Amino acid sequence: MKPISFSAALLLLVPALAAAAPGVTPGVQTSAGTSSSLTSLLKVDRHVLPNGLVVLLHEDHTVPVVTLWQWFKVGSRNERPGITGISHYFEHMMFNGSKNVAPKEYDRILESNGGFSNAFTDRDMTGYYEDIASDRLDVLMRLDSDRMTELSLLPEQLKSEIEVVKEERRLRTDNDISGMLDEQLYAIAFNASPYRWPVVGWMGDLNRINRDEMKEYFRTYYAPNNCILVLTGDFESAKALEEITKYFGPIPLQAPPVPPVDSEPDQHGERRVQVHYPAQNVTFQVGYKAPGVKSPDVYALDVLSSILADGESSRLHQALVYEKQIALSASTFFRTRLSPTLFEFNVEMKPGKAAAEGLQAMDQVIDRLIQEGPTARELEKARNLLEASFIKSLKTNNGVGQTLAFYEHVFGDYRAMFLTLDKYKAVTAKDCKRVAKAYFDPQRRTVVELVPEQQPAAAR
Amino acid sequence: MKERVTRASRPARWRSFAALALSLAVAAPAGAAEIQLPEYTRTTLKNGLIVFVMPTHRLPLVDFRLVAAAGSVRDPAGKEGVASLTAELLTQGAGKRDARQIAEQIAFIGGTLGASAAAEQLVVSCEVLKKDFATGLELFRDVIVSPTFPAEEFQRKKDESLGEIAAEKDDPDAVADRSLLPFLMGSSPLAHPPIGWQESVAKIERGDIVGFKNEYLTPDYAALAVVGDVEPKRVVAALEKAFADWQPSGKTRGDGYTPLARTAGRHLVVVSKPEVTQTQIRLACPAVPRNHPDFYAITVANTILGSGFTSRLVNEIRVAQGLTYSIGSSFDMYRLTGTFDVSTFTKNETIRKCIDETIKVMRNLKTTGPTDDELAKAKRYLTGQFPLSLQAPDALAARLLNIEFYGLDPKYVETFSSRINAVTMADVRRVLDQHFCVDDLRILVVSNPPVATKALKGLGPVGVQDIR
Repeated sequence: MKPISFSAALLLLVPALAAAAPGVTPGVQTSAGTSSSLTSLLKVDRHVLPNGLVVLLHEDHTVPVVTLWQWFKVGSRNERPGITGISHYFEHMMFNGSKNVAPKEYDRILESNGGFSNAFTDRDMTGYYEDIASDRLDVLMRLDSDRMTELSLLPEQLKSEIEVVKEERRLRTDNDISGMLDEQLYAIAFNASPYRWPVVGWMGDLNRINRDEMKEYFRTYYAPNNCILVLTGDFESAKALEEITKYFGPIPLQAPPVPPVDSEPDQHGERRVQVHYPAQNVTFQVGYKAPGVKSPDVYALDVLSSILADGESSRLHQALVYEKQIALSASTFFRTRLSPTLFEFNVEMKPGKAAAEGLQAMDQVIDRLIQEGPTARELEKARNLLEASFIKSLKTNNGVGQTLAFYEHVFGDYRAMFLTLDKYKAVTAKDCKRVAKAYFDPQRRTVVELVPEQQPAAAR
Repeated sequence: MKERVTRASRPARWRSFAALALSLAVAAPAGAAEIQLPEYTRTTLKNGLIVFVMPTHRLPLVDFRLVAAAGSVRDPAGKEGVASLTAELLTQGAGKRDARQIAEQIAFIGGTLGASAAAEQLVVSCEVLKKDFATGLELFRDVIVSPTFPAEEFQRKKDESLGEIAAEKDDPDAVADRSLLPFLMGSSPLAHPPIGWQESVAKIERGDIVGFKNEYLTPDYAALAVVGDVEPKRVVAALEKAFADWQPSGKTRGDGYTPLARTAGRHLVVVSKPEVTQTQIRLACPAVPRNHPDFYAITVANTILGSGFTSRLVNEIRVAQGLTYSIGSSFDMYRLTGTFDVSTFTKNETIRKCIDETIKVMRNLKTTGPTDDELAKAKRYLTGQFPLSLQAPDALAARLLNIEFYGLDPKYVETFSSRINAVTMADVRRVLDQHFCVDDLRILVVSNPPVATKALKGLGPVGVQDIR
């Protein structure tokens, strides 16, 4: 198996994504009547068990395989100082022993049945999935309902697994330049938002999280009423629902978790921070305060992200990489989140080029976009790119399941995904200008710059 | 990857996003019935180009893919990086379009077009919606047959390559992988990263690129696949017309390298990166080519040792001892040779423990062999996962072309499960003995030299080098 690192691109490039009924339709029509045709193409059954578990089912009989997503409505935003990183630590512990499944047994049983699993943690959610042959669905039912019923959290496993998590932090943050900058960007941009600490957690917190906090976390957030279960692939809905009810139905409902508080104040002035570290090239990140899911502007921001940085013909690439030839890469990152977040720019300069030059070039691109807006052809290109990404995302059952869960959780209703392409189509050049002006505000941005240090002299 | 944090068990090269391909087109329950590839045609065009066409109608997509025997193994000595730079430049001016027009037109139809070189293969790929078949084919054809290599684009791309090589020096994982190649393969033409070295790329001139393209990017040493929502007869006719001007070299050429030999004893090197708090570790030796008769037994044995979440290495080094976030073993297989490596990382304080324990796990498996349960689990896992890896149209195109490129059984996909299931305990023990080295090992670490040399003391001769 190749390393599975979760495809952030799936959600980054494709906030919209749905599945066709495979083998039934001659082809998804991409240019007309999107919302209604998508609704008819992707048949989803939604059920809520008495214990609050939301179940989404989408049958697809092309291949005798199923994907089961368990999506818990908990991420680093639900943490507090002192226990940052607990959501992600928890994700690791979900594979380390439950009521009737001893440590190491989860993966052994799964792989013995030809299955594969992985999981990810983000600011808003924690997602787990398994891919397995459809005749082994009961294996997943047994394993996953067992760990939702009672997680062991044995001291020996807790002790060993936190070392694994700390190695992950050293890999992705402490010894990785973009990881270091990203951590600082959110820590400096936000004063009060729970997005201000890193998903992986501060090292000090990883050293102190205790078993009682883990047990409390499980009771609160791993309750059936805090979970969305999505099954996609080759199964029969009525029978699958019966099985799900049998295995997951008896797990008791818990009091709903207290929603995290976001008291982030307005930002009045640019914030700048430097990170000094041995490096060959200068890199910098810029984060502008951007809205969360409640704002209708998220669609225009997706379109702007495409115009600015999707591919070699995008504005940032053309200006910084192609014309001025001062950068190796220039990209943007925006994802719709539950709370207000950042619209990020990431630029890696060529050797010898300073951050100031890159920032100035980036500002020129943004200013021009605010002044003139996109051309008609650019706007059409952005729509086509977003639409094509949508079609490409239909390649996988796994992606379908992930996206259903994403919309059900972040937008509060999986059906929101059916409207997304229409929302992109409705974005005008005027909207782009207005939204760019509103959010790409120099007073409400944070700039994190890597300042290359000389390599420390190595004693031989 | 941003803030997503995952449970990956293998070294996470998260800068290239893994496609989570699942579903479609193939049919086989875990370890049960054989998989049947969708029907396809194989045609040889007049100029010698081998063409596969596989219709899959679930989505309105078309994937074009060309594989040419024009990888970095063909780089002229001292100018390592030519194949990669040639590939990069194919899309920067071709036919009547300049770089901007190509980029804008493929993006305007929501498509992708790209080219890259690996050790043995130069790959050009293009994905478009069905309705844009003609535009996609025209762009795909132009970049292969009539790239123009404008001088200013050559200079720009060369500068970018130099910048990227510099940037890779900041990534400990990339430093380890790049440094391992010459440490393991010496002066072999395989022993450099496709992007090249700082000093070799600096020497490349535009004429080298044009010469490389004319010499190696020819239809008689290439194969092309079109997979997606298409009709085979029409596609073959369109390809015959589109590629009519592409002239074969008419020359006979070999693979450009010879098999690697294993060297006796342990050799160690510390690649200097004084600032790191975590040390990248590689253990490696030469191994077998892709079409080796032991392929299936090696695949099963390697799964038991170091693939998936329940392998011996993951169980011991990650789960039981908490020494790493990720450890895995793998075989890189070329047409004529191959390498075996174990890849992991650990905090500087536990370098020696991590290496000792890793070797212990390997030696233990070689000495006592796997259990019957482990053997059965590995087979189920491999046969259960196999269908998931070849469902998207681009994945199917790559699969067809690899079967052709490595000279595998055309029924490779259909027979995979039965061949895995036919592997016996005796086979696994034999290949563990022959191909999984523990004594004749090259060990490379990327670390702070004083700390690492002290930790490695007694394992064998240790050299220290700067990042190349």
